[in-house]
Amino acid sequence: MNWSSPLPALLLVGAVLGLGAYAVAVLDGAAALVTARQRLPLGDIVIGPLRQAALAARTRRSTTERPDLQAWALAPALLAGMAAGAVATVPFGPDTAVADVDDGIVAFGAVMAVVMVGVYLHGWSANSPLPLVGGYRFIALALSYEMPLALVLIAAALPAESLSVGAIVESQYDLWNVVRQPLGLPLYLVAGTGLAFWGPLNGADGADLAGGTSAEVSGPARLMWALSRRFVLVAVAVMGAAVFLGGWQGPWLPAPLWMALKTLALLAVLVAAGHRLARVRLERFVVVAWVVFIPLALVDVFVSGALAL
Amino acid sequence: MGVIARLAEGAEVPLFLVVGAGGRLAADDLHLQRGVRVVDTPRAAALLVVVGRITRALLHPALVVHDQLPLPRATLWMPTDTEGDADPGGLMAAFPAVTTADVGNADEFRTVFADLVSGRRPSDPPALPDMEPAHWRGVGPYGHGGAGMTGGVPFGRALPSRAPDPDGLELDQLPLQLGPLHPALPPGLVLHVGLQGDVVRQVAVGTNPYQVWPGDPSPGPLDTALFVDALRAPTPVADLELARARHHLRWAARALRLQGLGALGRRLAILARSLTAGDRGTVESLSRRMTKRRSLAWAMAGVGVADGELLDGLEARLVTGPVRRAAGQAEDARDHDPAYEGLGFEPVVHREADAWARFRQRLAEATQAMDLAERAGTRLRQPGPALEGPRGTLHPDTAMPTTALLELLPDLLAGMEWGDAVTTVASLDLDVEEAALPTLTPASGSRMVGIPAAPDYQNGGGGAKTRP
Repeated sequence: MNWSSPLPALLLVGAVLGLGAYAVAVLDGAAALVTARQRLPLGDIVIGPLRQAALAARTRRSTTERPDLQAWALAPALLAGMAAGAVATVPFGPDTAVADVDDGIVAFGAVMAVVMVGVYLHGWSANSPLPLVGGYRFIALALSYEMPLALVLIAAALPAESLSVGAIVESQYDLWNVVRQPLGLPLYLVAGTGLAFWGPLNGADGADLAGGTSAEVSGPARLMWALSRRFVLVAVAVMGAAVFLGGWQGPWLPAPLWMALKTLALLAVLVAAGHRLARVRLERFVVVAWVVFIPLALVDVFVSGALAL
Repeated sequence: MGVIARLAEGAEVPLFLVVGAGGRLAADDLHLQRGVRVVDTPRAAALLVVVGRITRALLHPALVVHDQLPLPRATLWMPTDTEGDADPGGLMAAFPAVTTADVGNADEFRTVFADLVSGRRPSDPPALPDMEPAHWRGVGPYGHGGAGMTGGVPFGRALPSRAPDPDGLELDQLPLQLGPLHPALPPGLVLHVGLQGDVVRQVAVGTNPYQVWPGDPSPGPLDTALFVDALRAPTPVADLELARARHHLRWAARALRLQGLGALGRRLAILARSLTAGDRGTVESLSRRMTKRRSLAWAMAGVGVADGELLDGLEARLVTGPVRRAAGQAEDARDHDPAYEGLGFEPVVHREADAWARFRQRLAEATQAMDLAERAGTRLRQPGPALEGPRGTLHPDTAMPTTALLELLPDLLAGMEWGDAVTTVASLDLDVEEAALPTLTPASGSRMVGIPAAPDYQNGGGGAKTRP
């Protein structure tokens, strides 16, 4: 595909993130109702997120004493921009990636590291204690997410003998990585949940901190932060679908549709996990991450490497 | 009217709750109300809802929170005491504009909210002047409000001091007041904590905001009102046990919400709301499934161990109820209660004494209560002392169960991560309001409360624009 004009690229990335975030909101609402054994008209489930967004857009921003206003505005933009960068490296069909660069996997890992900066800035800039504690929490945990994430992605690149996401997708023509490397996807989803501070790993914006880094944010800024967080989750799911579920490959249906279905499936797993798993104790998680997850991810790399030789 | 406005009018109404005296049950029910959403921070709310009777000590925090709501905002008041004077002090007049709503009337919320969003109703102006809460500029050698290079209270909030951490390093410790309106703590609980990052180094329980001043009506109706009344009037055992099961299920719903499992908690709360004797099977199977959840065990096991040694030490030897039984001690007033003779009552006991044991303890007691309710038939409990309430033994001459539990907090919470501290506080099932009752004897003398006073670093968080 010809990406010489930036417009189609922007449209593609924007559509993936926008529709993905909307899908997360709808899935989340539906999962909550199922878990609580409640019913709601389908219309309310589908329109609910749009109503919330409209309300947020009509609510005024509030401020705190001496906030760091630039940093406060920058934080959601960082998160959203980073998610957009991550999505750009993923192909949605044969040759349909905005930037299927030679080292796409490395680029993905690099932009995912920026989440840490965005979340900490968001906690810092309100000049208020509870958001700041939320920011600390994320810093304390971020390395425990990023190490396994990087390792399982490297393992997925080994059979493809390339760091390009497109090549990794094509290397799964015979066998998806989820089967070839059974350790990969579960570890990836744990790390991805953490990076999007979602569900059980929502330490940064947790209810115990009255909303953590977003405790002092209202109106459009709050909406922007909520969206950006979902963008990260969508980016994680999109990359997961490409690297572990064979990406756009599949019979009968057009390639982009396969990508959409696989992404939705991963999003559904992530969202459902948020309603089924309790908040994880942070210190314990760090111990488990370094004692179990990272060694398992290393095993994944070594075994995949040996098989690829 | 634009599309955005029309969409916004249909959104779930985001509420921030201020739970006043006697408002606890009604506030819990608001979590189940259709079309509204109780939010964790005033910054996400459109309506401030005062449930019950606001007290003098709650008024200022409530006004601070009021001003933290973004515009457009409105204040609603749901009085729960329909017989007496719902606001004897006239305190609600301190809010700029208040709409009174009936308990459980969601239409009122919707109307006010729709008017607010569409601009038909003006937004509340601030209740307090927007000014720095303490005079500090130009005070001290560097004009920063303190005595040395660090220290001081700029903006009325103390800067971090230094304190040793577990590894013996001197680290910053931030003095902070959390509560009385912190959504993760029981309504009214005030904790003065020294935080090192996410770790609570020091804890002191602050003044009880429900404390009764001369001339004030006594607190209540408590959420355990049925049990308190049963001390004086004959009450069917089946009613007591159903109320106990309902209480524990409601508690579990709150505890699950704090673990990020709000939807699951909602399911328990819905069951609790319409609980009848026929729901025994549902309660049992739900409890069994809850207690098998690995992730819950992971979140609570080993957290907040209040074992026999801790319970018997200090002055907290009056700790009764599920907290004591979860520490392996089979003490239960129903054991000696003639009303329970022949019902085959055996106290349920867990040994581990941690938050997970207390969670399982209460769910097991809920199932047991359903059993007892079924077996009790129409049996009446005659008035008499030492009734086992859901939080502990009620006795006309001793303090309410929460009073002793509050004394546990400083020792129990010191050294914990804040998330674990929240889990621990939730696991104790505190009702700060009942602790404001000296004893249940109407003729008892002093009405002041036996809760330790706030420590001297109290001014560490009273800012006009800080957290809830």
